[in-house]
Amino acid sequence: MTKVHSVILKIDNITKLHGQFKALNTISLEINRGEIFGLLGPNGAGKSTLLSILAGASKPSSGFTWLDGMEIQPNNLKLRARIGLVPQDFAFYEDLTAKENLVFFGQLFGMQGQLLTSKVNEILQIIGLDDEKAHQYSKYFSGGMKRRLNLGIALVHSPDILMLDEPTVGVDPQSRNRIFEAIKTINAMGTTVIYTTHYMEEAEALCDRIAILNHGEIIACNTLQNLLSLTQTTINFSIHENDMAKSRILKQKLPELKSDPLQGSYSLTSHKNSTPDIINLLVNEKIQIINLHLDSPNLEKVFLSLTGRHLRD
Amino acid sequence: MQSFIIAKKELTLLIRDKLTATVLFVLPFAMILILGLLLGEGFGQKTDDLMRISVLNLDKGFGLNNKPWAQLAIEDMVSTPNIKVEIIQNKELAEELVKTGKRAAVIIFNPDFSDRVNECSFLSTGVNPFHRDGIYLEKLQVSIVTAIIESVCQIALLRIVMPWMIGKAFEKLGDPEFIELLGKEVSLPVPPSLRLLIPKDKIPLGELLQLASGKDAVLAKNYREKVGAGIQTALTGQFKNYNLTGKSWASLTRSVNNAETVNTLTTFKNEDGTGILKRGAIRYQILVPSFTVMFAFSLILISGWIFVAEKRQGTFNRLLSTPVSTPSILLGKFLPTIIISLFQIFFLLGLGKVLLGLKIGLPSWTFSDWMIALIVLPLATSFCVASFSLLIGLLSKNETQLALFSSVPVCLFALIGGCIFPWEMMPDNAKTLAFLTPQGWALDAFREIMPSSFDTTTDFQLIWKSTLVLTAMGFILISITWITLGRIRFGNS
Repeated sequence: MTKVHSVILKIDNITKLHGQFKALNTISLEINRGEIFGLLGPNGAGKSTLLSILAGASKPSSGFTWLDGMEIQPNNLKLRARIGLVPQDFAFYEDLTAKENLVFFGQLFGMQGQLLTSKVNEILQIIGLDDEKAHQYSKYFSGGMKRRLNLGIALVHSPDILMLDEPTVGVDPQSRNRIFEAIKTINAMGTTVIYTTHYMEEAEALCDRIAILNHGEIIACNTLQNLLSLTQTTINFSIHENDMAKSRILKQKLPELKSDPLQGSYSLTSHKNSTPDIINLLVNEKIQIINLHLDSPNLEKVFLSLTGRHLRD
Repeated sequence: MQSFIIAKKELTLLIRDKLTATVLFVLPFAMILILGLLLGEGFGQKTDDLMRISVLNLDKGFGLNNKPWAQLAIEDMVSTPNIKVEIIQNKELAEELVKTGKRAAVIIFNPDFSDRVNECSFLSTGVNPFHRDGIYLEKLQVSIVTAIIESVCQIALLRIVMPWMIGKAFEKLGDPEFIELLGKEVSLPVPPSLRLLIPKDKIPLGELLQLASGKDAVLAKNYREKVGAGIQTALTGQFKNYNLTGKSWASLTRSVNNAETVNTLTTFKNEDGTGILKRGAIRYQILVPSFTVMFAFSLILISGWIFVAEKRQGTFNRLLSTPVSTPSILLGKFLPTIIISLFQIFFLLGLGKVLLGLKIGLPSWTFSDWMIALIVLPLATSFCVASFSLLIGLLSKNETQLALFSSVPVCLFALIGGCIFPWEMMPDNAKTLAFLTPQGWALDAFREIMPSSFDTTTDFQLIWKSTLVLTAMGFILISITWITLGRIRFGNS
């Protein structure tokens, strides 16, 4: 499906103060219609605060947010019907069944009758709770099922934009995959998704574009490819430690090569697209490689290179 | 519409929480029942309620103005300040009441009482009921016991018997027999000028009258009557403050009836209830309204708890993130509390009526009176409860805060408001303090619709006043809640 790159959500110089503490500092972003946009950052970076403002649940100290040209403000109740928010914590009634929860929230968004019934059934199917589990009290659900129900409630009113605040915290891989599948399905149906996480793998797996948030500031925002290009691939290989001649050749051909001749191990940081050239060089020079390991760039490295600290610190 | 959806969800959750639902309805009734069975008959009654003289009137005779003397004695007691006179219907009941300790004593006016009083006289031929300390009750065919009640009875009988005997004695002053006696006893000196006619130093009054009448018997009788009337007139003139012929205390003392005297005459009613549940016991008239009001306001804790739990679970924020307006959310939270509160009130009143014989209303009530008592008042109370619940729930950030905040309206206000200790058991100014609390207003009105055995009228003005105060309190509280919720939802949070 071809994605139309029109801006659905515009964030203009948002700052949020909690007393003296600056939770968000002059954030500006544009999110395109139909994309899955990732907000990646460590805990406390300001992801949830930003999401809360975008969902209209709280007010920025300064700056503006616009949804399709309409300013998002807490008292603009009409806009809320276009937004689906999946909070980080489970936010549903444990003494209601999955279906009852969906019906309840659907009704609050003004849905009723056949439309509501079919939508609820559709969502139950998407989140994988369409069998007898739909009629079980949600307090008896596993963590993963609860996460899926949490997601489903935000989808029941068919929002234009879905905002997920770390929706996979504490879930098993199987449930995580189901959540990913659900998000991809919803996105494929045209819903724009804003996905906050501190798991780089999730952002890499899901997001078209990613903004990296640190200490309330956007430190990078781009497509995954472009972000990864901010760092380089490291090639690590080993040769026989007594092959001094080959070692000299390598030093001549690759002056940036870092080596430990006594151990016979070498490492070289390069752009990913130059890796084949290096491999060819080793083959042509008939250097016998004992082992070879490519350390590809990832968002963790990007974050490390941008902030000097690890994402999960 | 969305309010009803929220309300329906709240009620569904409550119904599914069977333990809480059970506690909400069963606990108050269990407390009423336990206290009702444990507490004595006098629980919550005013001291003057207990200053009660129980009387059994078996008198079959007639006294003054053709009224039985026992009736006059009872009327005299009724007019005694701070005494309530209770009529016991029969001797078996009187004996049972004394035997079971429900009454310290019963004054019994036996069938011959009027006859015996009629016989009382200062004359030697009459019954002399007096002794050094008062009146011989047994001579008057009166049976009783215990010091306080005997004193009351003695005074009442003195006020009955004394004027009667004085009146009769005064009448005797004009009686020819008395003049005959007086004529023999009183001798007058004969002046020297009359010594020729009456050759004596002294002459008895009777002989003098005989002399004056010229031995005419009719004329002599006439003179004697004149002497009697003269003595009566002279004594009446001498003791102007008293009507010596009055024969009743009021007439004798020329006293004027005290306009403020209230009717304190009642007929005995079994106030300790019957059967295992003590059905109909008077204390239920205090316990049921007290606990109905107390547990209605206890909903503040339960509703507040649900509210806080919802905030902690994040569902409240999710609710706020929907397009539902703030008033609709408030109404959705508000309605279930009102419904539960009303249901709880009706449940307690209904069970009280059916199982405990609770007396609600008076036979004289009209349809609109019943509507005020059973619809308007419970609605106003529930409105105040729901408003209070929402405010406390909204202001409490966690369960600890809720427990602290709600302890004031649930426990302290219940204590001050008279729900735990009846006002009658508290200092005189306690009721003034009670009106600082919604419980005080609610309880005052609920007790008015559940009258005690002494109440014969209902003060609907009081019920209206309480209803208006509770509604006003509710409006103030819900307004604060609305503003607070608006600030939370749309403010700079």
